[in-house]
Amino acid sequence: MVDINATLIAQVLNFLFLVFILAKFAYKPIINMMDERKNKIASDLENAEMAKAEAEKLKAEYAAQLAAVRQEAQSIIENARKTAQSVHDKIIAETKEEQEQIVASAKDAILLEKQQALGEVRAQVIKLSLVAAGKILEQKLNSAEDEKLAGSVVDKIMK
Amino acid sequence: MGNEAAAMAQGAEQSGEIIHYAATEIAPGIVINMQTMYMTWIAMAIVFVLFFIVSRNPKMVPSGLQNVMEMFIDFLDGMMNQNLGEKGRKYMASFIITLFMFILVSNEIGMLPQVGVHWTSPTNDINTCFALSLLIALSAYIVGVIRQGIGHFKHFVSPSKAFLPLHILDAITKPLTMALRLFGNILAGEILLIVLYQLSPWIIPEFWVMFSLFIGFVQAFIFTILALGSYALAFSEH
Repeated sequence: MVDINATLIAQVLNFLFLVFILAKFAYKPIINMMDERKNKIASDLENAEMAKAEAEKLKAEYAAQLAAVRQEAQSIIENARKTAQSVHDKIIAETKEEQEQIVASAKDAILLEKQQALGEVRAQVIKLSLVAAGKILEQKLNSAEDEKLAGSVVDKIMK
Repeated sequence: MGNEAAAMAQGAEQSGEIIHYAATEIAPGIVINMQTMYMTWIAMAIVFVLFFIVSRNPKMVPSGLQNVMEMFIDFLDGMMNQNLGEKGRKYMASFIITLFMFILVSNEIGMLPQVGVHWTSPTNDINTCFALSLLIALSAYIVGVIRQGIGHFKHFVSPSKAFLPLHILDAITKPLTMALRLFGNILAGEILLIVLYQLSPWIIPEFWVMFSLFIGFVQAFIFTILALGSYALAFSEH
């Protein structure tokens, strides 16, 4: 049952032959494929990691941009509000001034008109009173002295 | 199958042994165990065909047989990386993968149903086991000398000269125990299977077949691990 014979040599040769033909015909394609797959998976994972980092960066960038834009919009609105307020204030002030001016000039005009009217009324009254006095006295009262006199009378009356 | 086994056992009883090796004198003084030879060739053919089919068209996304063979290769690659390092793995991959697959297939074909062919394991022959273990022991020295020069033998006197006898004893017993462990397990499995068929033709031997298939895998694994242990010295940096 345990005879050691030439089978031992034959088995060594058999086994070496098997190693040789497998190494020559079979292992290389299989091991190459396994290595290729390993590399592919590693590089795919790396790419995915890179893409993820890229996306992360883009996201942060967009968030920062959005915040900046929002801030800018806020400042634009604030400026617009300030400008509108100042324009509003200015218009109000100008209008007030103009209004006051108009009122003042109207007052002046009224005063002037009043004085004119009073002057005219006085002249008419003088003439009328002279005419009336002349008619009443049947005298010539056309001289300058007469007129002066009459005027003083009228003035006294009108006061 | 029980009948064939029984008949075979009967024949074995007549000739005084339970396992046949069909020892034949092919030339004067040269005796070859032909049964072992045939079974070795069958095992070699099975291993070759398995790898050859896969290697013809390896796919990026493996399936079926490719998955199975890649699982074995990956499993052995892991062990080689641990014991031999990255460089050693590239150097020894063909040898170790073939060793494991050949022993695995050899161990398992002895458990095939005895229909038409008288299936035995090539590893039930002490010649096969010694062939493999001596080949490993000698090639480990050869690889060691190729890689490290004659300084490879320095490990015989480390850590001191007093350890030389122990190292020599280790060098002798390692191939001896490797061969005898494999031989004993597989031969005992087959003998017990024949005995069980004589005791009970059904059911009970099938349990033993299942267990023997498992033992076949474990022994192939152990043999490969021990072979890696032998080669580890040749690839260690010292």
